[in-house]
Amino acid sequence: MGTGALTGLLYYNHNVVVIMLGEFEYLLLSVTARLGDEAYGAAIRAAFEQATGRRCSVGALYTTLDRLEAKGLVQTWMGEATPQRGGRAKRMVRVTARGARQAAQFYRTVVRASRGVSWETTRSLVR
Amino acid sequence: MTGVVWWLVERASALLDAEERDAVRGDLAELNVAAGRALREVVGLLVRRQLRLWTDWRPWLALAGLVIPLGMLLSLISRQWANTNSIYAWLYVDNWTWSYIETAGARHDLVQICGTFLLECVTLVCWAWTLGFTLGSLSRRTIWVTGTLFGAVLFGGTLGSSTAGLRNPGNAAVFSLMIYRDGFPTLVRTVLVLVPAVIGMRKGVRQATLPLPWALISAVAVVTLTALAAPSVKVSVTWGWWSTSGEGPAIRQLAQLRDSWQLRLLPMLMVWPVAYMVASATRRHWRRQSATA
Repeated sequence: MGTGALTGLLYYNHNVVVIMLGEFEYLLLSVTARLGDEAYGAAIRAAFEQATGRRCSVGALYTTLDRLEAKGLVQTWMGEATPQRGGRAKRMVRVTARGARQAAQFYRTVVRASRGVSWETTRSLVR
Repeated sequence: MTGVVWWLVERASALLDAEERDAVRGDLAELNVAAGRALREVVGLLVRRQLRLWTDWRPWLALAGLVIPLGMLLSLISRQWANTNSIYAWLYVDNWTWSYIETAGARHDLVQICGTFLLECVTLVCWAWTLGFTLGSLSRRTIWVTGTLFGAVLFGGTLGSSTAGLRNPGNAAVFSLMIYRDGFPTLVRTVLVLVPAVIGMRKGVRQATLPLPWALISAVAVVTLTALAAPSVKVSVTWGWWSTSGEGPAIRQLAQLRDSWQLRLLPMLMVWPVAYMVASATRRHWRRQSATA
């Protein structure tokens, strides 16, 4: 029986709590939290690409931020313009208390699920 | 080349909301993204935004309930009416003689034909405007897609078909002239359908719901005009959707449907946009009434 309609975040299935936070969403939350007051579109994107080694397109970034904002996990607002941006405003981002709780829960779940697993060994076993 | 690509980026990002456009263009400038990649990214964002909007049922209703059936119907009706009036225009403009006025019977015919033509013009404009308004109201930010598709159906819906009048050898003198064969139908579709539809779309996107009195006035006008035009609508579908070989209806089953109840109900389709307008105006009116009570 799902409670996702009520919370928009959690689903209970066979007494197992599954967090409805995607990997990309979690990574964006982490990067945003790390940047603190300096978190805005371009900075988040640069930090994400540096931390993960993966490309992050403007489309993926902004549609995911919209989704996170709709879930109440981040808050965004238009910041000031700078000359290096051609005088254009920044979209500032801040992780909300709810977002921090969900990210922490996601992290704990991944750590718990990964306990006792050595991926190096497992990979060699598959080979 | 790079200048052209940046111009395309500018044009594409103009389709985003003002704040998002600022943020995206600023990010691309700050990160020194190359022109080609910037274009791909902005287009990617636009596609994602559109895809998200299409998870709602309203654009699909606009597409399935308005763009395809009514776009097709307006395409057929406008072409049929343009062809019919082309014959009269050829008769009265290209072959004018004062006896058209001097003779009482001919004068009566001329007045009747001019009156019918004006009525058809007003009917097309009213249908197109109400369709455009409802399309804008349902589509909102997907109007670029649904509006473009409406234009495509309006101008392309009758491709590969003809009309019985056009195939009739007796009308060869009229339709051998390009202005009557191609020019007049295109003019009618553009001026009497596309332009009022686009004006309606703009208003529908901005306003979503008409005030109830205006919605009721529109409904009375459209229902009256549709009732007057009903016989001609049926003719437009049967005789106005002819195979290019001139052998019969483009869709063979149409010949069997000629006197059917389905075809008699067809003009009612043109009323549904205004019915939606009245329903949404009434709902808003009652909500306001209950809020003030």
